Amino acid sequence: MQTFNFILYLMAVLTCLACTVLLGRSYMHTGVRLLLWGTLCFVGLSISNVLLFFDLIVFPTDVDLRLWRLSTALGGLMFLLHGFIWEDRP
Amino acid sequence: MIEFLSGAVTLAYLIAAVFFLRFWRKTSDRLFLAFTIAFVLFATNQGLAHVLDIYSEPASFIYALRVIGFVLILAAIIDKNFFAGRRQPDKR
Amino acid sequence: MEDSAFSKEFLAFLRTAIPSVSAAELLLLLFRQPVRWWTLDDLLREIPAGASISQSDAGNCLETLRSCGLIESDTEKRLRYRAASAALDEQVRTLARAYEERPVTLIRMIYALRDSRIQSFADAFKFRKR
Repeated sequence: MQTFNFILYLMAVLTCLACTVLLGRSYMHTGVRLLLWGTLCFVGLSISNVLLFFDLIVFPTDVDLRLWRLSTALGGLMFLLHGFIWEDRP
Repeated sequence: MIEFLSGAVTLAYLIAAVFFLRFWRKTSDRLFLAFTIAFVLFATNQGLAHVLDIYSEPASFIYALRVIGFVLILAAIIDKNFFAGRRQPDKR
Repeated sequence: MEDSAFSKEFLAFLRTAIPSVSAAELLLLLFRQPVRWWTLDDLLREIPAGASISQSDAGNCLETLRSCGLIESDTEKRLRYRAASAALDEQVRTLARAYEERPVTLIRMIYALRDSRIQSFADAFKFRKR
């Protein structure tokens, strides 16, 4: 069960990282602003998921990283929403 | 502070999901549908985790929501690269 | 090649005929050897590796080019460059020049002009680009 959790949370981290890389690569290639915001969003979500991974799997009882997990996730999502809201502007 | 952040994150996921939904309607690209559902699941996960005061996710079924969300995103990426045939012509 | 070469007419040409860098590559392949009749496989084989494109996407691009009056096809579905007017030919020459002298600007222009920045978000998740 523990291994199963480990794999699932690792998958979350890897998926976020994959999104970050794909969006970031595309931004560098095309310069489309929206992709910059997407990249930054997934950077935040990646960090958040890495912290989650550490919080629940690696150090389940020692530390409580909730403040940091939520802050980084929120920061990332703010970038995304900013990009979405102003997407019409060139 | 945690309550504030938790609520904010939940709402942010939901708003992002609404945008993804709009993008899906606009482009008919399945990827956006996957992101819509995934982000709704993330929002639900975040909201429930707080409301039900669940600190340690793995001890609860709620984390299945996150897992499904990420699986959906992965599936969408794989789908886009290996299965998507014709792209819709650009609407002009 | 100065910025003024990216005139309004050229941008309009890009927006209607060139939805992607691969489309530009395909058109320029045809343009550079205007006498030759190409098959779809020929084109896909000779397109630069960085701009590789799927067969169905290429078909769509070529159809767009044909409807813009840039290429013609024969009974065996082979293709050849033929601009429907001198003005169009001039735009393609500008495209060729831009491709040689200002490729980065050209690529950014092509993507900026696509109607849907949103589509770029989805396209970012393709492993093979353009």
